[in-house]
Amino acid sequence: MSARADLEARLRAVGEERYHHRHPFNLRMHAGELSAEEIRAWARNRYYYQTRIPKKDSTILAKDGTDTEFRREWIGRIHDHDGEKPGEGGLELWLELASATGCDRDEVESLRFVLPGVREACDAYVEFVESHDLFDSVASSLTEMFAGDIMKVRIAAFEAHYPWVAAEGLRYFQSRTSQAPRDAAFGLSWVLDHADSPEDAARCVAALERKCEILWSLLDAVEAAARRPELVPHAEVRNDSAEDRTLVVLPERAVALNESARELLDLCDGEKSADALALEIAHRHPDAKTAYPDAHDFIAHMERAGVLACAASATAG
Amino acid sequence: MDTPRPLNLIAELTYRCPLRCGYCSNPLDWASVRDGLDSDAWGRVMHEAAALGAIHVGLTGGEPTLRPDLREIVAHAAAANLYPHLVTAGTLIEPAGLDPLIEAGLRSVQLSIQDSDPAASDAMAGTESFERKLAFARAVRARGLPILLNVVVHRGNVDRVDAIIALARELDVERLELANVQYYGWALLNREALLPSRAQLERARLRVEAARAESARPEILIAIPDYHRERPKPCMGGWGQKMLLVDPSGRVLPCHAAADLPGLEFWRFGERSLAECWGEAPGMNAFRGEDWMQEPCRSCSERARDHGGCRCQAFALLGDAAATDPACGLAPDRSAILAARDAAEGDGIRPIRHRATSAS
Ligand code: SF4
Ligand code: SF4
Repeated sequence: MSARADLEARLRAVGEERYHHRHPFNLRMHAGELSAEEIRAWARNRYYYQTRIPKKDSTILAKDGTDTEFRREWIGRIHDHDGEKPGEGGLELWLELASATGCDRDEVESLRFVLPGVREACDAYVEFVESHDLFDSVASSLTEMFAGDIMKVRIAAFEAHYPWVAAEGLRYFQSRTSQAPRDAAFGLSWVLDHADSPEDAARCVAALERKCEILWSLLDAVEAAARRPELVPHAEVRNDSAEDRTLVVLPERAVALNESARELLDLCDGEKSADALALEIAHRHPDAKTAYPDAHDFIAHMERAGVLACAASATAG
Repeated sequence: MDTPRPLNLIAELTYRCPLRCGYCSNPLDWASVRDGLDSDAWGRVMHEAAALGAIHVGLTGGEPTLRPDLREIVAHAAAANLYPHLVTAGTLIEPAGLDPLIEAGLRSVQLSIQDSDPAASDAMAGTESFERKLAFARAVRARGLPILLNVVVHRGNVDRVDAIIALARELDVERLELANVQYYGWALLNREALLPSRAQLERARLRVEAARAESARPEILIAIPDYHRERPKPCMGGWGQKMLLVDPSGRVLPCHAAADLPGLEFWRFGERSLAECWGEAPGMNAFRGEDWMQEPCRSCSERARDHGGCRCQAFALLGDAAATDPACGLAPDRSAILAARDAAEGDGIRPIRHRATSAS
């Protein structure tokens, strides 16, 4: 096999093994097993990823000032995302999708209700592109090679299993079925043209693996947010009058809670998801700008401290 | 000085114990200390401790399940709004015997197992007990109570950390504490046979990290013993600060080993109120705060963190309870620690002298 064909095969193998089409959350989505709440949480959170794409592509464009053909091609991605005018483009289509699933469009656009883990994953992608050269950056975008297929599966799944999501909402997926393969074809041949050595090939594979990891962890975070926290059975919540605070008493330790932590803990009933709890808290305290991510961080922290136990999402098997 | 708030009551219900661990930190003359408090007296201890601000009570010993009135004592603890935790070797209670304790309000159990290897466990305990401990653990889990599994690690078992973790997982415990030997009492006599080498500890630490990466449950605690460190342990969160211990005779102490310190006067519950025994006994105040400190502790920036280390260790190794803990790298006299460290090098197993069955 030529080095070129060999590298292409290795990249495809990375996708086969590590692209998020194999993530349990996507598998459940495509099998029709997600609740409406999970679909909404996903649409709202994934919008943050969408907003990072033009940022990432602008960074890539700024990396090389000599390759006119590359720039001419790559700038098309930004146009695809932003549209030529208001009401057009991939970001707009994603907002329409989010609305069709029942999200509040303004809330989604505000980015106030983005899971900490999702934010971290998406920011890691932008940082990767900022801190790597053009070659690695283009290689990391090659997850597009696998995006066309997943879009087709997704459209079919939404039509079959989530008929309550209006068909107009699916236009983003439709647009990507053609854009992604076109962009991927360009990115792939550019990378293959520029990979001159086995070291380049290894870098390229590593960049794609890193990107797969980022997409995977985004879904990990969305999946975790559907879990339903509950006080562990042996915990005792009491007012510690001596120091005017709430204590959660556990074997050989006690965890002190402030007022807002107590408010959140009182809502944890083993029924509501972590995401629903964080949204409820955020809506109760509209002035607290970071209430939503703080609530998620608190739940994760309390789980590590052994105060909360989290059952799988209501629909997960 | 304001009297500190004791968060944790340690109720040593008896020094009697069917086991004979070579690392037992009970006093060498344990058999001369009688069980001095009946269950009603313990009940008063619980209520007075709660009034002082205590949250937890550890029912310990010796072996607390030797007390025929354990159920009443648990009920008193629950009535006092303390969180009752039973510290046991688990060899004496039949599964059905747990039910009345749970009904009385028992919330959690600390079970000590000596080793993952049945024969080695029995050898350390000085009695055949391993299988009974496992049966006890299963009975506790079947009733939904959390178990904190305590395994004292020493040079004879520290290389079996993997198997110990596997056992903890099999028993579905909440937390596994790979505890260091506290070198007082019987343990100090056996130090050469117990203190692991630095290399053994490093291997164990890597194993624990790997196990944590595999699964968050159980939580695993491991600490490098102060003998191998350059800073002392912040013993008990400070002398007479957070932990209030009542020994089987009713004596109120700041920790297990403090009764062995010469010249300290501690008071007995019953002769005075718990608040007096805790707040005013000369022994309790001997090392509270920082006034007692000598140099280098007196002017050291770490003193609020480690309180100058362990008083009992300073006395046991230097004969001066007010000295800087020799486990500290800044201590003027570290020869005892350094000699023990040298003696710990190499991995050989060494013979253990068991806790005596009666007063020695
Ligand atoms: S260390 Fe062993 S011998 Fe000592 S009290 Fe505990 S179980 Fe009994
Ligand atoms: S000198 Fe005393 S206070 Fe300073 S670190 Fe050592 S033991 Fe702690």
